[in-house]
Amino acid sequence: MAKKTQVSPALTAFGFAGLLVVLLPVVALLSRVPWSNLAAQLNSESSINAIRVSLLTSILAAFISVLLGVPLAWYLARGPAAITKWLRPIVISPLVMPPTVAGLALLTLMGRNGLLGKFIYEQTGWAMPFTMAAVVLTGVFVGMPFLVLVVETVFRQLPIELEEAAQTLGANPSKVFWRISFPLARGGVISGLVLAWARALGEFGATLTFAGSLPGVTRTLPMEVYVAMEVDPASAYSISAMLVVIAITVVFLLRSNLIKAFNGK
Amino acid sequence: MKKAIVAATGLLLALTGCSSATEASGVSNSVTETTITVFAASSLTETFTELGKQFEAANPGTNVTFSFAASSTLAEQILAGAPADVFASASEKSMDAAVAKISKSSVFSSNRVVVAFPADKPLSAVTDLNNPAIKWVQCDRQVPCGTAADAALESDGISGTPVSLEPDVKSVTGKLIALEVDAAIIYATDAKSAGSEFRSIEFSNSEKATTRYPIGVTLNANTKAQAFVDFVFSEAGQKVLLDAGFGLPS
Repeated sequence: MAKKTQVSPALTAFGFAGLLVVLLPVVALLSRVPWSNLAAQLNSESSINAIRVSLLTSILAAFISVLLGVPLAWYLARGPAAITKWLRPIVISPLVMPPTVAGLALLTLMGRNGLLGKFIYEQTGWAMPFTMAAVVLTGVFVGMPFLVLVVETVFRQLPIELEEAAQTLGANPSKVFWRISFPLARGGVISGLVLAWARALGEFGATLTFAGSLPGVTRTLPMEVYVAMEVDPASAYSISAMLVVIAITVVFLLRSNLIKAFNGK
Repeated sequence: MKKAIVAATGLLLALTGCSSATEASGVSNSVTETTITVFAASSLTETFTELGKQFEAANPGTNVTFSFAASSTLAEQILAGAPADVFASASEKSMDAAVAKISKSSVFSSNRVVVAFPADKPLSAVTDLNNPAIKWVQCDRQVPCGTAADAALESDGISGTPVSLEPDVKSVTGKLIALEVDAAIIYATDAKSAGSEFRSIEFSNSEKATTRYPIGVTLNANTKAQAFVDFVFSEAGQKVLLDAGFGLPS
């Protein structure tokens, strides 16, 4: 291992300025939180409704993301490069899409006048917008790309010799995946799961555009914060504090796994 | 490189020279240009933009710039010291919230919520909202269009629930225009600008469905600010508002 490179004072100064941009708003937010009666604030009917909707939909979204995202990541890692090089940007695009655009995209697909939604509505009379299912789908749309990104990176870093050896010994492709690759990538899958969950938990614009905002059904914590800001700021700050604590906890828990995933162990 | 700088400086000089030349030869002999900054409710976006143009045309040398947002947001910004000369709110509540920074205010217009729906799938009465098969949206309670909607629904005995309580009237209108709902409770002005593909019916208690729009000059306002407020109250100003579907101040 080479000797550590020194960081110049100028770069350090700019770096710390960057740190402040991230740190100060969070500190300011936490300074407004009514810590002494935080529990009471979070115990109101509207907060509890929002917590319930958010937890239920974001956890479902995270598990669906694993179910569909892991196979997708596997295909991107091991599939033919001629195809995967085109698929990868498409899969990751929701990461850089403005949330309202994401919501509009979902609405134009699954709305009752949507490409697919119209057919479903005509056949069954059911439409997805304004339902909890819409909140879950939004969560999968914005969250799964994170999981795919992390899990694919981990898959690519697995020693391919192991898979080749297993194949030589007669294991079929599905056995290779379940016995060799998936167990080795488990850490990455868990990181991806938690990242997808956190992303789904935080979504606001896409959910509002596609699913609406009805207490107990589609109103999630971020929407509750937005609404409470005008009528009950103390409650808005309390929910924000909870979400910040969740975010920081998630990042700390994932620190080692994340660095592994992006750095190649 | 040097050449580029010289060229750029030359261009800059030419541009500034040009602009001072027009000023010198301009017909207007007003000493300085004044800018009036107007903070106005988002439901006033179209009408106030038009009023601003007319006012500028009638008062050479005066610029009117706007900041449109939710009334409650604007009130907070004004309290926090935002450089507004005029505040036009969609509710008396938001005007009251900013009262510490407003010299005086009075009601210049009114709006009312209506039940809007697609023309090819019409409702027959407001009571259709009680039918669970009818999906409808309204504003949430903290914004003026939600307060008015709640009061009007209650007086018409509607106990049905909307599929969503949206944060502002533009968001409600969007759900209707996307045809994701069968009806939406929106302002008469928004129903009008939604076009001929949509129609609307009135609530029986128009008083409950009405929200009043006050306008006021801020404490440290520009001297021309009052002139803009007067223009809003003038016959020409009121015509713009009435044409867009707003009601009389009443």
